Amino acid sequence: MESTKQFTSLLDNSTLGRVERMRLLPMRRMTNRSRGEHLAGKGGTSTEFNDYRDYSAGDDMRYVDWNIFSRLNRPYVKQYRHEEEMHVVILIDASASMRFGEKFEKAKQLAACFAIMGLMNLEKVSVFACQHAGQTPQILPPCTGRMSMKRIFSFLENLPPGGDFPIDQAVEAVLKQHRGRGVCVVLSDFLTFGAMERPMNQLFSAGLEVFGVQLLCALELNPELTGDLRFVDSETGMTLDVSSVGDLIGFYHDHLAGLQDHLAALCRQRSGRFICLDSGLPLETMLFDVLKRKGWVQ
Amino acid sequence: MSWPGFSALINAWWFLLLVPLIIFYFLKLRRPRFDIPSLALWRQVVSDQRVNSPFQKFKRNLLLLLQILLLCSLIFGAMQPYLSTGSEQAQYLPVLIDNSASMAALDVPNGKSRLDEAKEKVTKLIDDLLADQRLCLISVNSTARKLTDFTDNKRLLKEALARLDISQVPSRLEDGLRMAQAMSRVQAIDTVVLISDGNVPANIEFELPYKLNFQKLETGGANVGIVDFNARRSRNGWDVFARIEGTKQPDGSKSGPPTAKTLCEYELLQNGQSIKQDTVAIDGGKAERLVFKVSTSIATSLELRVKPDGFDSLATDNVAYLDLPAPRPLTVFCPRSMETYRNALENIPDINLYPGTDNEPKAVDLKFAEGPLSTGPEARVRFNVGFIPDDLSNLAELVSGQTEVVDWRRTSPLLQHVQLLDVQIADDPQLAKGISERDFELAGYEILATSRSGPLILERDLEGRLDYNFLFSTDRSSLVYRVGFPILIQNATQIAAQRANLLDAKGHATGTLPPQRIEPETEVHIAGPNGYTETVRSDKNGFLSGMGAPYVGTYDITGAAEPLKVGVSLLSSSETGLKAVEKLMFPEVSVEAATSVLKTDQPLWLWFAAAGLVFLLLEWWYFQKRPSGVPG
Repeated sequence: MESTKQFTSLLDNSTLGRVERMRLLPMRRMTNRSRGEHLAGKGGTSTEFNDYRDYSAGDDMRYVDWNIFSRLNRPYVKQYRHEEEMHVVILIDASASMRFGEKFEKAKQLAACFAIMGLMNLEKVSVFACQHAGQTPQILPPCTGRMSMKRIFSFLENLPPGGDFPIDQAVEAVLKQHRGRGVCVVLSDFLTFGAMERPMNQLFSAGLEVFGVQLLCALELNPELTGDLRFVDSETGMTLDVSSVGDLIGFYHDHLAGLQDHLAALCRQRSGRFICLDSGLPLETMLFDVLKRKGWVQ
Repeated sequence: MSWPGFSALINAWWFLLLVPLIIFYFLKLRRPRFDIPSLALWRQVVSDQRVNSPFQKFKRNLLLLLQILLLCSLIFGAMQPYLSTGSEQAQYLPVLIDNSASMAALDVPNGKSRLDEAKEKVTKLIDDLLADQRLCLISVNSTARKLTDFTDNKRLLKEALARLDISQVPSRLEDGLRMAQAMSRVQAIDTVVLISDGNVPANIEFELPYKLNFQKLETGGANVGIVDFNARRSRNGWDVFARIEGTKQPDGSKSGPPTAKTLCEYELLQNGQSIKQDTVAIDGGKAERLVFKVSTSIATSLELRVKPDGFDSLATDNVAYLDLPAPRPLTVFCPRSMETYRNALENIPDINLYPGTDNEPKAVDLKFAEGPLSTGPEARVRFNVGFIPDDLSNLAELVSGQTEVVDWRRTSPLLQHVQLLDVQIADDPQLAKGISERDFELAGYEILATSRSGPLILERDLEGRLDYNFLFSTDRSSLVYRVGFPILIQNATQIAAQRANLLDAKGHATGTLPPQRIEPETEVHIAGPNGYTETVRSDKNGFLSGMGAPYVGTYDITGAAEPLKVGVSLLSSSETGLKAVEKLMFPEVSVEAATSVLKTDQPLWLWFAAAGLVFLLLEWWYFQKRPSGVPG
């Protein structure tokens, strides 16, 4: 039997087909002024009726519901939903720390999935990959439509890991390049020495709802280490001597849980979302089970 | 419970090494490198105050803990810890080891000898030697010999101990005790250890200046041996007598009842040829006397061998040697001027009297002289009458006068059955001014008879020569008219015959060889059993003495005009009997055999050294092993 040719190496065709039917569910409607598929909160000019309101001087007379006026002898203005375009920004942490486990592969797969969802929803999708500190992130300019899928897949497939860009600085670097409101999916391990408050505030200020996805491998989620070790940071090359690591695992878990709570709180306070995923989980489980149940996608 | 002490407490300063050890450990700790995505979390973990508390940090460093334990073990070992057993700690400890013949006794067939047991005890003493203790090993038999000086060198001590062998001579403790006493003048000696089987003379003429720890070994098993072997001239040759004795075993002995009989085969050899072979039963604790008749007209050597039918703990006393001289008349030189003496001598049979019809020999058995000693032939027994020898000229002087004998030694062989009471003497030998009888003894003379004013008859046994000095002229006394005079001459001939071995012969015991007379100033070589060799030189008179004979067997003396062969045997009733004393009697004190083993402080450094080795191995293993949990 002839095997079906894969559209991309990142996703198999069946997964791709299912993802194409899925949509992102942002908690807030942060849209651009340009028309799009997303209904804006304010009144718009779409064909879908939304509400009535009292007429005020200066309103367009074309929107007065004359039938109501005839019955109530008071002018009411009909309001319609406003459908605006939402920008989906995908930020991939491509630093060296993402090489561990399947973190980077899963990050690219998830980025592809989120991009497909955006494209299929007629949103603008742009992808940023941050590798080396101080350098401009690799950018896939905003693109729309199904036709852009190939570009996105190509961009993601050719993305190498490596570098020392901390995620907090990477967010700032991305925001220097990006314009537009919408959703920002941050795919990173969030293991940085810097503080995440400032980049989160900047994202919020830029009108981007944060979808924080923390990808951690087994070594980070459940390290099984003992003895006296000299840890070497994969990004900075800095070392740290730790004695009797096995005895410190409990403290490590405490600190990891603290970090996750802190990041979740940061996102939640800025109307965002946060989730920590084990990079060892199958992509299908992540997409069709975890994210769906959490209400990230539908 | 007693706390351990330390012999070398100064080594505790080495504990200061712990400080650089800990510092260098943390500075130079070699850890496996392990790449992780980010140090962000781990840095927080490490900087956690709970983790960084000094105690927990120390607790988690097992490698450091092992290194500290290793260092502490080594330092404790260097401090020479010991567990005190309550005994007084002697810094200088002389150890007297009995190596007399009885120490060769085995406990059971093919078992250990007493000397082997003694060596085990001494080896333990050496092993338990502390850093500030010194041992001196002294072997004790009929004499004493220092095996080592005071030393803590265990190798030297053990080598000297290994070289110690049985000396087949009877025991005598005085020399060893005196040697230890001499050492106590240089070193502070509080206690002396004596390790013996107890087969020693119970009464010891020695004032103990220190404590004696008498470690008595178990007595050997049953033994049968020859304790006497001698001969008396008979009409047709020699009557040979041997005495074989068996030990009395203690009650409950494995060898049977105390008086169990032992069947012995014996064999008498004459010049190597067996002439008599038979069996005799020896009761435990009793002796059997064997009599043989040996007819010979020439000098001959006898050897008696005993072979007990059963376990015999001591083999050295199963053989005895006896040299029988050729029968000949006694040669006597008596000047013609000493007519009274010649008259008496002529009536005694088997005597060749000189000067006479035959040529005068160079040496005679008995010589009478009334003038200077240099005239006439050489003799082993000399009878000087009527003058004071040159070496006594400062001690006595002969003056005219009347004197009589006031006392004489009746037990002396010369004066046996000689009545000197009321003998009138026309000479009066007197002591010189300021001289006492003690001065004669110091000059080597023994006074046999004395008058009111001084000695009359003196005896001196020196260098194998026996001199009798009559300081008065017998012709000017009533002695020559008394019936005792011929008896006196008869006694003199008997003594001379005995000295010449013409009357009887006795087996020579180990210790020293009997004196021999050879050419003057001649060096001879002595070769004995067990590879024993010695070179001795005869004096100007041709007298050969002081030749050692520590082993039973025959000794070849070569180098003289005629080679000599002398057999020596143990011939000691005490050694063969293996009688052990439980108490040593000294003039004022007695020393009982210690019932407990010798208490020594137990050194612990070996345990610390072993612990150090274990810690070293543990550390090596821990250092080399791959940390679990780290991927390969």
